[in-house]
Amino acid sequence: MELLRPSSPEEATGALGNGSRALAGGTELVPLIRDGLVKADTLVEIRDVVPRGVTGTRIGAGTTLAELELDGEIPQALREACAQAASPQLRSMGTIGGNLLQATRCWYWRLGFDCWLHGGETCFARDGAQREHAVFGNDKCASAHPSDIAAALLALGATLRTTRREFAVAELYRLPTDDDRNVTTLAPDELILEIELTTPDASTYLKAMDRRKWSFPIVGVAAARFGGETRIALAGVAPIPWLLDSVAILDEATPLPGTGYKVEIARALVRRAIEAI
Amino acid sequence: MARLIRTEKEVEGRYEEVWIVVDEDALDRWPAGPLTTVGQRVPRVDGLARARGQALFTADLQLPGMLHTAVLRSPYARARVISIDLEPARSAFGVRAVIGPADLDQLTDEPGYVGHAVAAVAADTFGQAQAAAERIVVEWDVLEPLLDADEAVRQESFVSDVANYERGDFERGLGGADVVVEAEYRTQVVVHNSLETHQAVCHWEDDGITIYISTQYIWGIRASMADHLGLPPDKVRVICHAMGGGFGAKNSPGDYTPIAAELAKRTARPVRCALTRREENVAAGNRNATIQRLTAAATTDGTLVALGGDFVNAVGYSGWSATTEGPMKMLYACDNVRTTQYPAKLNLPPMAAFRAPGFVEGTFGLECLLDELAVKLGIDPLELRRMNYADSDRTDDRPFSSKNLAECYRRAEPHWAKRDEVRARSRGPWKHGIGLASQIWYGGGGPPSYAWIRVGSDGRAQVVTAMQDIGTGTRTAMAQIAAEELGIPLDHVQVSLGDSARGPFASISAGSSTVPSMGPAVRSAAADAKRQIIEIAAQRFHLEERVLDLRDGQIVSTDGGSWPLTEVTGLLESGQILGQGARGPNPAGMQVLTFGVQVAEVAVDVETGEVRVDKIVAIHDVGRVINALGAESQVEGGIIQGIGHTLSEERIDDPATGSILSRTLDAYRMPTIADVPEIVSELVDIPDEHLTNLGSKGLGEPPIIPVAAAIANAIRDATGAEIRSLPITREEMLRALREAEAREKERRGAAAAV
Ligand SMILES: Cc1cc2nc3c(=O)[nH]c(=O)nc-3n(C[C@H](O)[C@H](O)[C@H](O)COP(=O)(O)OP(=O)(O)OC[C@H]3O[C@@H](n4cnc5c(N)ncnc54)[C@H](O)[C@@H]3O)c2cc1C
Ligand code: SF4
Repeated sequence: MELLRPSSPEEATGALGNGSRALAGGTELVPLIRDGLVKADTLVEIRDVVPRGVTGTRIGAGTTLAELELDGEIPQALREACAQAASPQLRSMGTIGGNLLQATRCWYWRLGFDCWLHGGETCFARDGAQREHAVFGNDKCASAHPSDIAAALLALGATLRTTRREFAVAELYRLPTDDDRNVTTLAPDELILEIELTTPDASTYLKAMDRRKWSFPIVGVAAARFGGETRIALAGVAPIPWLLDSVAILDEATPLPGTGYKVEIARALVRRAIEAI
Repeated sequence: MARLIRTEKEVEGRYEEVWIVVDEDALDRWPAGPLTTVGQRVPRVDGLARARGQALFTADLQLPGMLHTAVLRSPYARARVISIDLEPARSAFGVRAVIGPADLDQLTDEPGYVGHAVAAVAADTFGQAQAAAERIVVEWDVLEPLLDADEAVRQESFVSDVANYERGDFERGLGGADVVVEAEYRTQVVVHNSLETHQAVCHWEDDGITIYISTQYIWGIRASMADHLGLPPDKVRVICHAMGGGFGAKNSPGDYTPIAAELAKRTARPVRCALTRREENVAAGNRNATIQRLTAAATTDGTLVALGGDFVNAVGYSGWSATTEGPMKMLYACDNVRTTQYPAKLNLPPMAAFRAPGFVEGTFGLECLLDELAVKLGIDPLELRRMNYADSDRTDDRPFSSKNLAECYRRAEPHWAKRDEVRARSRGPWKHGIGLASQIWYGGGGPPSYAWIRVGSDGRAQVVTAMQDIGTGTRTAMAQIAAEELGIPLDHVQVSLGDSARGPFASISAGSSTVPSMGPAVRSAAADAKRQIIEIAAQRFHLEERVLDLRDGQIVSTDGGSWPLTEVTGLLESGQILGQGARGPNPAGMQVLTFGVQVAEVAVDVETGEVRVDKIVAIHDVGRVINALGAESQVEGGIIQGIGHTLSEERIDDPATGSILSRTLDAYRMPTIADVPEIVSELVDIPDEHLTNLGSKGLGEPPIIPVAAAIANAIRDATGAEIRSLPITREEMLRALREAEAREKERRGAAAAV
């Protein structure tokens, strides 16, 4: 395996695609490669290419979660989402760009079962072990998106600047289809450079976990208020971060037999989040 | 004098009748309570070395030329190997040897669970071994696995006989009851997940083998590997200096030791076989799941008139069936008890002992049921337990060697009395409550166990015994006992252990038996040395032996005389005083048990199902306490592990294939430090006057036993919800809350209809 250290975005994107992968903190990519879930013959280290740090409302994609959780200037929802994610060690290495692009924690997928999302025929979680799985958008793949940070950015209405385009964070994600099982719209040779935030009047992030720390969200709820409008987004409830157009949408959830409890938790946390802001 | 006796030997609640030779144990008892060294708070003698990374674990060992092993394990819960081709692995880079089912009993061509070892590769590096193992080509005939424990009972698929027990007449007792409660409880599979994974390094030298292994039982490994290899036991040397956790799963050689031994033989090199974290989560043993269908019946005055239960132990493909029914049989003075225990054989990874196997699970069921009964009777749960206090072991009417559970209950009172105060903390969705549960378990240890001691001319002592310190602080406790008996400062005692070639036979470190088995042997060795020192001193100072004693590093006489110990030992120059000691017998005709009670304070968010444990008060009766600080750390460790068992830990199995889905520590959730509540530990430090020269019982297991029931009972107190299954995840908590709401509605409806 080869490790490249490009010094400009152009050089980096030129090296990407064709079996090479961008390497940021490596907390997600390295385990995936080790487990044979991602094949890569070249790693392109993007440390010198992708901005790091916060300037006003712009966050470099190379900023670590540890840096963000301590930043008093960024909206509370994002700060809280970072602080409650993973463990201190992981947050010191893991970047916000990498966090948005992490894969599902579905155990079938992680153990390399030939499931629908891996390109196979069946979703094993549907009749299998499914307590961590989805309650929305789960008719093909019932996995639950694990990123706390993505839900926060979705509620905050953030936009992304990549090496190719600028777009709302909502457009980074797509529900996978039979023809295209990807959950993001990022091209293989496209790099996220920056995240641009709009500043809400108030925001918060609430997270239900299986233990007090170091746990992926059972349900994460981000809420942000802009004047009279409140935006709510959920983590851990659908194969992608899930924007909740209204609280009533929770009544339309399609839980699996083992995930109904998530709807109940979401209801309570959404109400609390709205009350909090 | 050595004496040959026939006695019952107990380990982890399992009994065997054995012949043993025991030495008389005629020492005077020490007074109760903290002494000069024994009973004090003593930091671990090897604490600094551990903290500095200097303690040598099996995982640290690097021998010249050592090879590394990867094991090919079955991906199927039940299958047959139609054909296996090892050649592609043999020709892989760095590979030195490859073995398959034809080469070793521990490798199978008919795997019965996911993770069953099929083949193994030794290579220069672990990465090479792993890459080579992936090249092994297996053609499988995949068979339908049996995964459901109730189904196994229907099919009579058992690992051993169904165990039936009845005393009195259960049906008659039930007939005479005023109040009956019935409930089904379920406990999950939990995995030990020792920090140091299961592993061994095997090294053939001359005509014998040296086995470095992370183990709880050096002598057990020596015996079973000698048997396996067809060697005289003294040709098998077993070494374990420091150990990164076992919790019951490291009592035997497993598959990895025979695999390493075979590969070492074939390559004439030292070979390490170490489980990866993922293998550890699959193939290293587990606390098996249970289903408990229980009945408790009482008269209105609170007298238990019948206890009954069907206990299904989902043992797995092999292993033994723990006494999940034990607490029901032993904890209370109920005349009519009937239990049936089904040891279900399944295509799931085999169980291994796990910190009080059976009793942790059985106490959860029994003590929750007892609280349900208390609610129905309108009797205070602590009172109900006192009303049915057992004064003897009702399973065979033997007296207890000592039992201070009543004292534990008494000390629990001030904590229990805070019930209203705790409940009054409830705010909004957070409901607070308090619950308790009792603990009963073995922990008396037993013979044989031996220790030697040598005192040099500098007046320092070395304890030599081939036991292991499994991380519980054994080295420290043994040093304290020797220092106390010899009357010398703790730092003048060294403990040499961990090597079967250096020291006499020592007990297994399981079943909370290390201190009660080894401690008396160490004291008796020290007493032997002390006797000799006094004999010499008497001659040196022309005094009678009976007026002399050892204290504070001095030889003292009753008339006020005092000489430094070295004034006598110094005469020896290079000579040494050698003491020898053995563990005496357990008290004949008596049942030796440990007891305790824990009180838990919890808060429940009734909207999200979050359970927060705020405080656990643990009060245990384990006889004399040797190291007050070490004991406290055992209590804390047991409670933390118990909190994992109660709230978050669960092996996740695929219900269709029996594959293990939780193989990493982000999917298998042990508590973090943030999950640890305030822990108050109190030990009723009363020596057992019938048990050995120390009066000490073991403490490794007791603290984990009542945790789950105490928490579940506190949850009931806070919310009215009946927890029926572990772990108490959000979904179990919410289910129980909704069920309680429905019950309440029904009750109100019924009340309104009247
Ligand atoms: C045990 C564990 C627990 C965790 N718990 C949580 C949790 O509770 N909540 C949560 O939200 N997250 C959690 N995480 C996820 C963690 O936050 C992410 O692994 C981390 O943020 C990823 O960042 P990284 O820099 O290490 O990414 P990498 O591993 O370097 O990369 C991840 C992926 O993103 C791509 N990539 C990285 N940066 C860019 C970029 N700028 N442009 C384009 N592609 C890029 C890589 O090619 C790769 O595909 C957990 C992870 C672990 C391992
Ligand atoms: S939930 Fe998605 S990732 Fe998991 S098994 Fe189903 S298809 Fe695969």
